[in-house]
Amino acid sequence: MPIELTMPRLSDTMEAGTVVRWNVKEGDAVKSGAVVADIETDKATMEMPCFDDGRIAVILVESGKQVKVGTPIAVVALEGEDLASVKANARHAGAAVAGVSGAVAAPAVVPVAAVQSTVVASVQTETSHGMEEFGATTARMRVSPVARRMAEDAGIDVSKVVGTGPAGRVIKRDVELALAQAQSNRASSTVAPGASATIVTGSAMRVSTNAAPTSFAPLALTLRGRDVALSNMRQTIARRLVESKTTIPHYQVTMKFSMDALLAMRKSFNEKLAASGIKLSVNDFLVRACALAMAEHPYFNASFAGDSIRIHEQVNIGVAISLPQERGGGLVVGVITDADHKSLRQLSSDARTLAEKARTKGLSMQEMSDATFTISNLGMFGVEHFTAIINPPNSAILACGAAIEQPVVRKGVLCVGTEMQVTLSLDHRVIDGAMAAEYLRTLKEFIEEPETLVV
Amino acid sequence: MSAVMSNPLFREPLSIAGATREIEFRDAVREAMCEEMRRDKRVYLLGEEVAQYDGAYKVSKGMLAEFGAGRVVDTPISESGFSGMAIGSAMLGLRPIVEFMSWSFALVAADPILNNAPKMLYMSGGQFGCPIVFRGNDGAGGQLGSTHSWSVEGLFSNVPGVKIVIPSTPADAKGLMKTAIRDDDPVFFMESERLLSMKGHVPEAEYLIPFGHAAIRRAGKDCTLCSWGRPVHFCMEAAEILAKEGIDCEVIDLRTIRPLDLPTVIASVRKTSAAVVVDQSWSFASPGSELAAQIHRHCFDDLDNFVHRVHSDDVPTPYAVALEQEYLPNVRKICEAVRSATYRA
Repeated sequence: MPIELTMPRLSDTMEAGTVVRWNVKEGDAVKSGAVVADIETDKATMEMPCFDDGRIAVILVESGKQVKVGTPIAVVALEGEDLASVKANARHAGAAVAGVSGAVAAPAVVPVAAVQSTVVASVQTETSHGMEEFGATTARMRVSPVARRMAEDAGIDVSKVVGTGPAGRVIKRDVELALAQAQSNRASSTVAPGASATIVTGSAMRVSTNAAPTSFAPLALTLRGRDVALSNMRQTIARRLVESKTTIPHYQVTMKFSMDALLAMRKSFNEKLAASGIKLSVNDFLVRACALAMAEHPYFNASFAGDSIRIHEQVNIGVAISLPQERGGGLVVGVITDADHKSLRQLSSDARTLAEKARTKGLSMQEMSDATFTISNLGMFGVEHFTAIINPPNSAILACGAAIEQPVVRKGVLCVGTEMQVTLSLDHRVIDGAMAAEYLRTLKEFIEEPETLVV
Repeated sequence: MSAVMSNPLFREPLSIAGATREIEFRDAVREAMCEEMRRDKRVYLLGEEVAQYDGAYKVSKGMLAEFGAGRVVDTPISESGFSGMAIGSAMLGLRPIVEFMSWSFALVAADPILNNAPKMLYMSGGQFGCPIVFRGNDGAGGQLGSTHSWSVEGLFSNVPGVKIVIPSTPADAKGLMKTAIRDDDPVFFMESERLLSMKGHVPEAEYLIPFGHAAIRRAGKDCTLCSWGRPVHFCMEAAEILAKEGIDCEVIDLRTIRPLDLPTVIASVRKTSAAVVVDQSWSFASPGSELAAQIHRHCFDDLDNFVHRVHSDDVPTPYAVALEQEYLPNVRKICEAVRSATYRA
């Protein structure tokens, strides 16, 4: 039997994935464990291994295409199997998939009826939706006949309509809703064309993306431009950060640290460690300082849980890592686990490994999970000061600027010193202003007396 | 508006105007037979206990007294024999009405009623017709056990040449029985033991109800419920419950399943986009499966979901009262099917 490679579910929230690149072509021999494709999930780009030895008979989903989880994307012919006939057999499935790329906009809907059919004892009452009984049907777009006809008559692209029927089937009421929304949008835009009053919340017709829950109608009809499709990661960023910024009562507290002592110590360490290939960054010291400060300030290592505050036992420091454009851009948060128990050397090595992996192969779910506090550092770009949006379910995030030489006053004398500004963004449900100030003071002590970070 | 039906669920009166009176379903069948026997000397009734005992279910009460033993004939317990005899008399010009105490007993007369009567006109090259009515109780009568609870329409509707009438109200029973007796082809007329005592208004004036004309018992816009015979009443009850949930059902009583009034069903489904077929015979190769197939064919582009079907469960009829109730198409099953068909599950 030829082996069907399907879009894997690489994260809990993943509903669809994009084949970023195929590393094989039709006819290529593959070995078990070989990476056949790079798959972009809603969170990261990850490698997809093959689990069998054989030859790629057919590639069903070309690179750049997004398909739902579970959709066949390629077929592997095993040893002794005829490549051509495997390919021919796979074709009808491929034809079905071809029409899908536009359709995956619709989120996979869990077939509720599948659960219900087990409740209904009667064998004759057909209350199941009739699909699960004989196994899943192909992953093609599901539209009820009347919904398809109504959409056609109204000139609506049915692939843009969110299906609420079993397995995401687009049904009559979905098209009716889309029609009603399209009409109301048309109505509002004819009232005041081009005026700022035409801002409407909600997209034209529940066009399904995992993106931000709100988007805005164009302010002017004369502007020209091009539309860039949202990558899965961009959709996730849009969704999660809107959620964070709109549901968490953010506020910021800034403090300036003198960096002279730390930079001197870093220079000295790096000179001595150069032979072993270790190069400590300012950020490594910062990670250690933030982690050690948790012992005194447990609420900075906590999550707001509705009716309680969960204080985590583990200190896992998340580090925001920006990704290069050739990996699709965006950013991920790599997680250094048990950061309060790791030496500077270990922290530095962990951070470097995470950043390199994120920028080349992509991080695993585990490497991106369970941060309890996050640091975002734009110092390397020369940024003096910025504020960050909390990475839920964290209660705080530290935005770190550059260490900059500047005139400072020391004991009444104007001199040149190196200073760095850090800004905490905080969840006021968990942390009050004075608590934030105290946390920053602890950080300041660690940074300005860096020996305390080593011992 | 004069109430034509005593059942308050039946909001749509028959389109027969004028004075009415309330009688039982069994009276309606008898009145139809008596009226036709007075009108046409060729019509006669035969069957087990129809004469001296006034009928096992008192449908033929008083008919022996009025028409005499020559036209109301008691037979031995020999369905195959008296069915064959009646068919012979029909071929030679009479118009017999054959009462089966239960349609379940008609199975022993399968050869004459399925192999002779419906094919006679065809096989004789048009020389012999077979104007005959077979009638009796059909469906689960209430704890009669597996062998006496048949819904024979599942089997018999498969045969070309038969007409099958399954009324749900006294008024329909009377109007359709008169049509059946006047029809020149064999008609299988299926009553329900559970409906015989049901009361309903029938018009005073003479009326006939043509075959192949469904009645819309309740108008609605969300889902079409198609049924015939006793389950129509369950559909009406279900529609009441579903209306409270905001699902507006249209209930169609087909009244005859051969011929089948497809235009009415199709017009309704084109309006509602959802259909549930309720048929008390078993599901496999049944009138319900045929109707569902026809709806799928003619309303394909109008459907928002596949046609759901509610049947008796695919087991012999249980004897235990609770099991029998659960086995039959009931209000709960119909509600579940409608919710599912309309995606409100």
